[in-house]
Amino acid sequence: MTDKQGGELLPGTFDMLLLKALSLGPMHGWGVAQRIEALSGGVFAIQQGAVYPALQRLKGRGLVAAEWRDSENNRRARYYRLTATGHRALDSETAWWRRAIGGVERVLRATPQEG
Amino acid sequence: MRFSNLKARLLARLGAGQADRELDEELQHHIELETDRQLRDGHDPATARRRALEKFGDPRRIAQATRDERSISPLEGSMQDFRWAARILRRQAGFTTLALVTLAIGIGTTTVAFSVLDSVLLKPLPFADADRLVVIREVTAEKKVFPPSYPNFVDWRARAQSFSGLVAELFPYSQTAFVGNEALRVESMGVSRGFFAVLGVKPVIGREFSAEENAPGGPPLVMVSHQFWVDRLGSRTNLGTLRLGDRTAQIIGVLPSGLRLLPQSATADIFVPNEQAPDRGRANSNYAVLGRLAPNATFESARAEMAVLSRALLATYRDETRAVDVAMILLHEEMVNDYRAMLVIVFGAAGLVLLIACTNLVSAQLARGLGRSREIGVRAALGASRMRLVRQLLAESAALSVAGALLGLGVTVVLTRMVRVLGAPLVPRLQELSVDGRSLAFAAGVTVLTLLLIGIYPALRLATSDPGDVIRGASKNPNASARSAAWSVLVGFEIAIAVMLVVGSTLLVRTMRNIMRSDYGLDPRGVITAALSPRGTLDLAGIEQIRRELAALPGASGAAVVTRYPLVYWNQSGPVMRPTDVAPQWPALAGFRVISPDYFTLMRQRVVQGRAFAPLDDSAGVRVAIVTTGVASTLWPGQDPIGKTVRTNYLSDQWLTVVGVVAEASHWSMPRGSQHEIYVPLAQQPNRARNQLIMMVRTDGDTRALVPAIRTRLRELAPAVPATLETMTDRIAQSAADRRFAMIALAVFAGIALILAGLGIYGVMSYSVSARTHEIGVRVALGATPLAVQLEFLRAAAGMTLGGVIVGVVGSAFATAYVKSLLYEVTRFDATAYWGAAVFLVVTALLGAYLPARRSSRVDPLVALRGE
Repeated sequence: MTDKQGGELLPGTFDMLLLKALSLGPMHGWGVAQRIEALSGGVFAIQQGAVYPALQRLKGRGLVAAEWRDSENNRRARYYRLTATGHRALDSETAWWRRAIGGVERVLRATPQEG
Repeated sequence: MRFSNLKARLLARLGAGQADRELDEELQHHIELETDRQLRDGHDPATARRRALEKFGDPRRIAQATRDERSISPLEGSMQDFRWAARILRRQAGFTTLALVTLAIGIGTTTVAFSVLDSVLLKPLPFADADRLVVIREVTAEKKVFPPSYPNFVDWRARAQSFSGLVAELFPYSQTAFVGNEALRVESMGVSRGFFAVLGVKPVIGREFSAEENAPGGPPLVMVSHQFWVDRLGSRTNLGTLRLGDRTAQIIGVLPSGLRLLPQSATADIFVPNEQAPDRGRANSNYAVLGRLAPNATFESARAEMAVLSRALLATYRDETRAVDVAMILLHEEMVNDYRAMLVIVFGAAGLVLLIACTNLVSAQLARGLGRSREIGVRAALGASRMRLVRQLLAESAALSVAGALLGLGVTVVLTRMVRVLGAPLVPRLQELSVDGRSLAFAAGVTVLTLLLIGIYPALRLATSDPGDVIRGASKNPNASARSAAWSVLVGFEIAIAVMLVVGSTLLVRTMRNIMRSDYGLDPRGVITAALSPRGTLDLAGIEQIRRELAALPGASGAAVVTRYPLVYWNQSGPVMRPTDVAPQWPALAGFRVISPDYFTLMRQRVVQGRAFAPLDDSAGVRVAIVTTGVASTLWPGQDPIGKTVRTNYLSDQWLTVVGVVAEASHWSMPRGSQHEIYVPLAQQPNRARNQLIMMVRTDGDTRALVPAIRTRLRELAPAVPATLETMTDRIAQSAADRRFAMIALAVFAGIALILAGLGIYGVMSYSVSARTHEIGVRVALGATPLAVQLEFLRAAAGMTLGGVIVGVVGSAFATAYVKSLLYEVTRFDATAYWGAAVFLVVTALLGAYLPARRSSRVDPLVALRGE
């Protein structure tokens, strides 16, 4: 997933961001897009439509579930929520991400003397 | 939740439309929410909408991407695969049409071949417990097998313990019957006591003869066939009577329709109680004997008992019988034996045609598939699993197979009707041919087999190709040598099969020609036979008048009279002896015919010694006879037979003087020299022509054209004597009916095989040319002449063809073992057939290859290179 203003997302991170956004509570697609934009402080201004194929994919893997509910503007909307499996997947992805970031950080901090 | 999930899935399955509508609604809602936010940020409505869409992206693409991510259940997946397959197949109408026609022909012909096999060989006989019925014959000391005589049959019936019933039928003979005042020529069969009860055949109306009725002194009774009842009696329930000669017989029963007894006996119109007046000659061979094995008996135990019994009878009747043993065979085997080879051929040929059809499709799919490898590579790169790709390709094959099978059913229905109409007179039980549950089940099986044959290989092959290579453009020339090797094998295989079919059909065509041209010892061409059953209503003068009138018809060059058809496969024969011979040492068996003086001249049967009969051989003269060379050399080796005295069982009270010797007349299906005959003059034996006489009319020009004239003239001359007219040529062809049927079938299959093989090589070469257009362009640009390019393609085609022809010739050398039993005066290694097939196939293949090759040499290098 690319975004025109911001940088390129690292592969595999978009699904993790969606899971994280949904871990805060059930939400419809527009809300999820808003949350990611807001939480990333505008770093990732994603193309909003991209959340739908991604959500569909997560649903297919059983990480999220969806149901129709009335939304704030009194219209029917499809709400997505994290399943138990989704929570576990988010935890393990987060742990993996932290380790990966940590590794990358250490590599970037390396100085010539140490080499 | 789980339940609603399930419901959603179910709904999704019931209509993809529901899920799509929901998705649209969801996306629309999203855009509205975003537009609202932009409005709150202070944009005017139009700008807000535009910005919302910008942030969202193209809704159509998003929707498509989302649909693609939908989880796929196996069923949904299959439906999708089939929709995809249908779309692809519709787009490639040319390929699809060709494939469907090929499959329809392949599946249709195989199914019809199965139906034929099924109705003739596999379906049980129309008798109860038919597998317990056996046919019993006599075996002589010389190991010759003959139909039994009535007295032997009666002794078997009285003594044998192994049978719950033994019955006999007298071979059918023609006679005249009157229904009201209408005279009909009918085939009449005499049956023994309890004949139908033992076979397990129940009359549909009435009953069969009782034991008391079917005995000397019994009343005149008759049973009729179902067809006779419908055609001649108008299906009347009050059966009434019919007149046979001077007796009026009560009709007491109607047999079920489609009843066939023994193949040799064809069909009978009426059945009469034979034991009222059976043929009591113990050395005669007039009956067919059938037995039903007793519950405690096996085939072997019955066979053993009959052997013992024959020895006992031989000891008692040494002077009268010639049976030293019996031959036994199951009725079912008896009925199918003659046709087994033929049916195996028909079925095998149909199977081979199906194989060619499938091979064509495999190579076409490969060609097409390679053309599509880019598309498949892209799908693979996008994450479609190998399994999924294989499934999609298989779905395509399945769609083809199923559609092909449905069309094939149409072909089956049409072909079945054709085969029934054309084949019923040639092969017994074919009139029962129909498309039934069994043939449909078979067609379904063939379809699955077809699917496996045409689907698996291309699917696996394509799905295992490396998507990376494909996308990078390696597909332009994916291991060309491996591909063309696979094709060479496929095309070579088709050609090999076509060679085998052409060899087989050529052998049978030559057989038919040999049969029709074979030397019979007389000349049957141009002769019309008119069989009459005068039943004593014609005296010698009457017969002579008819003969003269027929000979005088315009177009006729002569006429003669004989009491039995010449050249019949089953030739009644009886012992012939010299005064010195004592029973049972009969040195010769001979057929017996009563003839008019000009018979040999008319039939062009050579008089070797002595003279033919003359008008002076009449009732006032010495009783005379003419024998064939075989009889003369057996009875009087090294002596002059003229003037010798001889007696035949058919005229056991008379000694005859031999006045002439004629050449043997032999039927094509008999070993040469086995047709011993003894002839006596009609003028001396007039009552021998009471029941049956045959007018032989030789014609000058168009034989068939004279048939109606003869029929009309006979009706005028003897209105009370119905006649059956046939040409001799037709009779001989009829006796080779099974070969004719096999020949027609093989020729049709060989023709289809040739066309398919030609199409196959055409298809492969066409693809090869179009795939190499670029390369050809380069070479032509570099100075290669069109002729050189053309020749290279033709050389490739010739390579495949020659390989195929060689394999086909070797295969034929083995496969023709199945045709062997049908061949006549041609060996199964007949060089003409093999060379002919080879040349035929090479020409067909080169024709198929030439068109694409010519196209190759017309490649414009500029266009070819620009296309890059």
